Amino acid sequence: MATNNDFNNYIDTKKGWVDRRIFWDQEIYEQELKQIFAKSWQFVAHDSMLPNVNDFYTTYMGEDGVVVARQKDLSVKVFLNSCPHRGNKFCYADDGNTRSFTCNYHGWSFGIDGKLGALANEHVYDKGDIDKEKWGPRQARVDNYKGLIFATFDPEAPSLEEWLGDFRWYLDMMLDGDGSGTEFIGGGIKSYVNANWKFGVENFVGDAYHALWNHDSGLKAMNNGEGFGQAVTEGSYHASVNGHGWEFGTDGFADVIIMGRPKWTEYVQNVLKPQMKKRLGELRSTIYGSLASVSLFPNCSFLPGIQTFRVWLPRGPRKLELRTWTIVNKSMPDDIKQEINIGCMQTFNPAGVLEMDDGENWEGNTSVNKGYLTRQEKLHYGCGINRQIEHQELPGTIYAGQFNDANQRQFYQRWADLMNANNWDDVPTRYTPRYSGKPTV
Amino acid sequence: MSSTQEEFNTHSLSVELMNEVQQFLYREARLQDTEKFRDWLNMLTEDIHYWMPYRYQRYRKNEKEPTIYDQAYYNDKMEDLKKRILRTETGTCWSEDPATRAAHIVTNIEVELSSNPNEYQVYSLITVRRNMNEDEEHTMVGHRTDTLRRVGGELKLAKRKIILDQNIFMNKSLNVYL
Repeated sequence: MATNNDFNNYIDTKKGWVDRRIFWDQEIYEQELKQIFAKSWQFVAHDSMLPNVNDFYTTYMGEDGVVVARQKDLSVKVFLNSCPHRGNKFCYADDGNTRSFTCNYHGWSFGIDGKLGALANEHVYDKGDIDKEKWGPRQARVDNYKGLIFATFDPEAPSLEEWLGDFRWYLDMMLDGDGSGTEFIGGGIKSYVNANWKFGVENFVGDAYHALWNHDSGLKAMNNGEGFGQAVTEGSYHASVNGHGWEFGTDGFADVIIMGRPKWTEYVQNVLKPQMKKRLGELRSTIYGSLASVSLFPNCSFLPGIQTFRVWLPRGPRKLELRTWTIVNKSMPDDIKQEINIGCMQTFNPAGVLEMDDGENWEGNTSVNKGYLTRQEKLHYGCGINRQIEHQELPGTIYAGQFNDANQRQFYQRWADLMNANNWDDVPTRYTPRYSGKPTV
Repeated sequence: MSSTQEEFNTHSLSVELMNEVQQFLYREARLQDTEKFRDWLNMLTEDIHYWMPYRYQRYRKNEKEPTIYDQAYYNDKMEDLKKRILRTETGTCWSEDPATRAAHIVTNIEVELSSNPNEYQVYSLITVRRNMNEDEEHTMVGHRTDTLRRVGGELKLAKRKIILDQNIFMNKSLNVYL
């Protein structure tokens, strides 16, 4: 055990409940920073955010500030944004282009590769006082899946390919639908929500259920006054791999329509879907654009069809920082990209007609736990608990019906597995891989 | 333009016009505070562009102005604003029930004449104090640049650009117009 705590005591995927204390306790949160965020592969940036040599972007892995930087050989490095002298951040900008970073405090400078370079008034140091090779900020392992840059600070972590596993089969719908690759629209709106980070992730990992009720008004706004109607469970699924989850229907268009831009709907129908069908096959071209939501373990989410892409950065157990982007295919014409930009922003940013209703719920989910008695009560995660199926084409752990808590249960199981693990051998693979070492396109 | 000081084209600005613009902005604020959104729409031209862009926080050497092709909190035409208002009229807008209590405070109003005698450029600061639910209180400050246009004798808002001071938007939602 990594601590005396067995985190399997905080969840029960057979009975279907989760202990509320994992959304509130400082001690559990500190363990998450160590066991989840210091170990997991995390999305840190999209390739398109760093198009040129010396481009950089600052973000966080857990609460560890990092710089993501494009190198001279076009590779990417990720390193801690903290000067090894007294610790100050050496980069205070969100992004930009620079050949070096210089710490404000004493003037130590670092190359775009993170290596310690010149020191201000360097003559105050005698020969032998400092070995510059040893005193650079800690570097992360970096890898890339089809434009998404991931990093981990754990040298023992499995490869990114293994971490994503068969979930690559699903990711390709978002990242490789027409072979041209993807890019982000300029910007990256950030906001605070006074909620535990897991509430954002679990909402996107599997919670189609809330959309019907909670987002009724937003949907009516975007869809000429028409709501969702009744929940349809036939032809819809939960798919989970290593805690990543994709809940989806096979209606083909619900999420595309929610964006409220007829030109986008037309493009998906006439251009994108035929390309996807050729490239990824009938089933995946049908899944894309349906009512769906996705999370990558631990804290990255997106909506295929609405095109919002986001991370939920932890800011203590009771606060998160949400960073949102809009993802488009490179090959799309400029006017379609702008339709997506506008429709995505009208639905999903702090002013978006759907997003506005979510934060409100997650803050309530979190803040009630200040009540001692309240947080001793368990939360129900039992929807669809007996609906597991095998599917010929769909990889991962599959449950029938997208109105289900299956992906959420798998997410919390992965959470407990990592919270408990002393090393990677302790972390079980809870699905039967079909695509190990194989491409998914 | 002199070398040390901006020259302001205010000599031909009448007190009546200043007063008219102020009253326009105060009325708009009151309609927002009282959630009379349809009445507010009547104060806008049909070709309104209501824009609150993403704000870049970069080193001075890297500074970058947002464009309409970047992300934005609002990047709306009339039809888009109507969608947002429709949401609040559905009866299922749960997060707005109980209602948000908002105070729109307009200050630092400056009016500039333009080459078009029917259009004025108006600068102002907008501060919105928002109180919600039990005890949540949020403050937002925006720097506004408006174009007001005289249509059939009446002033209307034709363009608004709002630059928010916050880099990370400090609240869960932006459910007010600035």
